[in-house]
Amino acid sequence: MMSKKNKRISLPEAAALIGDGSTLTFSGFTIWRRPMALVFELIRQKRRDLHLIEVNGGPQTEFLVGAGCVAVWESCWVGHELYGKYGANVSRKVGTGELLVEDYSHAEMTFRMAAAAAGMPFSVSQSSLGTDLHNPAYDMLGAAGKRDGRDGRIACHKYQFMDDPFYGGGQYVLAPAPKIDVAVLSVQQVGEEGTVRVAGQYYTDPEVARAAKITIVIAEEIVPEEYLRRNSDANTIPSLEVDYIVECPWNAHPTGMFGRYDVDGDFLRDFYQRTRTQEGFDAWAQEWVFGQNHLSYLEKLGWPRTLGLKANSAVNYSTSVKRGV
Amino acid sequence: MTMKEYAKTGEFNLADLLCCAASREVQDNEVVFAGTGLPMVAIMLAQKTHAPNLKLIFEAGTLDGRPAELPTSVGDPRCEMGASRSSGLYDAFAIAQRGYVDLGFLGGAEVDQYGNVNTTVIGDYLNPELRLTGSGGNPDINSFAQRTVFIMVHEKRRFVENVSYITSPGWRVKKWPEGSWVPRQALYGAAYRGGPSAVISTAGVFRFDDETGVIYLDTCHPGQTPEGIAELCQFDLDLSRVSGETPKPTYEELHLIHEVLDPEQIFIPKTVKG
Repeated sequence: MMSKKNKRISLPEAAALIGDGSTLTFSGFTIWRRPMALVFELIRQKRRDLHLIEVNGGPQTEFLVGAGCVAVWESCWVGHELYGKYGANVSRKVGTGELLVEDYSHAEMTFRMAAAAAGMPFSVSQSSLGTDLHNPAYDMLGAAGKRDGRDGRIACHKYQFMDDPFYGGGQYVLAPAPKIDVAVLSVQQVGEEGTVRVAGQYYTDPEVARAAKITIVIAEEIVPEEYLRRNSDANTIPSLEVDYIVECPWNAHPTGMFGRYDVDGDFLRDFYQRTRTQEGFDAWAQEWVFGQNHLSYLEKLGWPRTLGLKANSAVNYSTSVKRGV
Repeated sequence: MTMKEYAKTGEFNLADLLCCAASREVQDNEVVFAGTGLPMVAIMLAQKTHAPNLKLIFEAGTLDGRPAELPTSVGDPRCEMGASRSSGLYDAFAIAQRGYVDLGFLGGAEVDQYGNVNTTVIGDYLNPELRLTGSGGNPDINSFAQRTVFIMVHEKRRFVENVSYITSPGWRVKKWPEGSWVPRQALYGAAYRGGPSAVISTAGVFRFDDETGVIYLDTCHPGQTPEGIAELCQFDLDLSRVSGETPKPTYEELHLIHEVLDPEQIFIPKTVKG
């Protein structure tokens, strides 16, 4: 990977690095720190046949699936937390057969991603024993004939079972490490050479950054590398794992970011209510995605809305956002 | 009236009752894995009443949390203030798999008489009527914790003979790849720690027989009868061990829920509807 090269690129250039059919993953957790500005750009560029491999899903999944960018979603959960009970677009496209869903559990996805980050072929766990996650009839990539070895990124089995060979500890479940083409992270700060400092919970960001072939970091601000290297123990991801960096303030909106802004609950609730149907999604995308760029999107949101979400720097969340009824 | 007295019917709502019932499942000094929603209020209520030394773990990576304000989700920055450590999912799940977790609170769309829970799909998995959120951490916490408590809406269509998809393992589960039914203890072997210990529904509190793993009714919520609750289950509900009525919230608990923990009514409304 390229440490000397200038890693700075634009948002449209970052989206262009993700080809049709890529295996793709993101930073964040449910409705927090998702690279939404990049997701909007992927929709504008009409990316197709993406295979999302996510430790957990969220609004980014719903936006991409609603827009028809995704062929396979491999994960454990999708919804908008408090602001939308389930993923209505995923649900609709599973029903119509337009989307293939491969289910794993949350710990399995986490351990699989950690295995990929360590260069290991599979994860080992005793989670979810006895559940239909492990039912061979529900191996959806297998049923679709995609585990025949022609695509080297897709494992030849969904799971394998084995007894603990060392301590006689019972049955264990092996799950394949994912092969990630591109990881896109949304973070607070990145240095000019790619060092990342995440503030707050880092979710599975260190694992996804290390697992991917190409890692793109979208940051609220690009800061002098030397500033981050003064306290290297506070950094989250080393420069050598990062290939490209993009500076883009408010890039995670409508999801939230520790220390910067809260989740825009009204935005997510509106999205959830309006996009139960494809017509509803298309109308929503016409309003918020197509014909926009990141600046015009922020302009459309307006100052009162963004200021209401802005985090208080002492407590790292907004003290003025309305959260309840 | 003292703050420790139980409130009277008409002075609390169903969400208050569920929150207090859930809170009472927590014992002091326990490590508790928190999900989003009402359980978060319940655990923080326990922390402020009978379990001041409980250790709270949020799935997104906050360890031994003591939030000052109610988080709306486990990914929320509000989880982190006052915590021992903020990290990530690998830490949270590794700690759970390592065996540190005493109690986890979970939800579900369907439950069966062995405590198997479905949060994935309504109808046939391969031809779904409705795809739901998916498993999330439900089966993980249920596999790793010593005890799990489910909080559920009680409708006849949700309390079923067999769930249409086992998302989260109960007391009688399937051994794959062959798919034979086996007792949970037999499948988990040396990793066995426990399993579902209670279901708190909007009608009553249910527990599981130590030997058979079959669900039975423990207490009825105020206004419910054992026979009425049995009518709301698709399986034959064991009524032989009903111990009485679910204890009502105390005035202290109501004060903490509405004035201290959730004054914004994010999860618990203030309105009283019987």
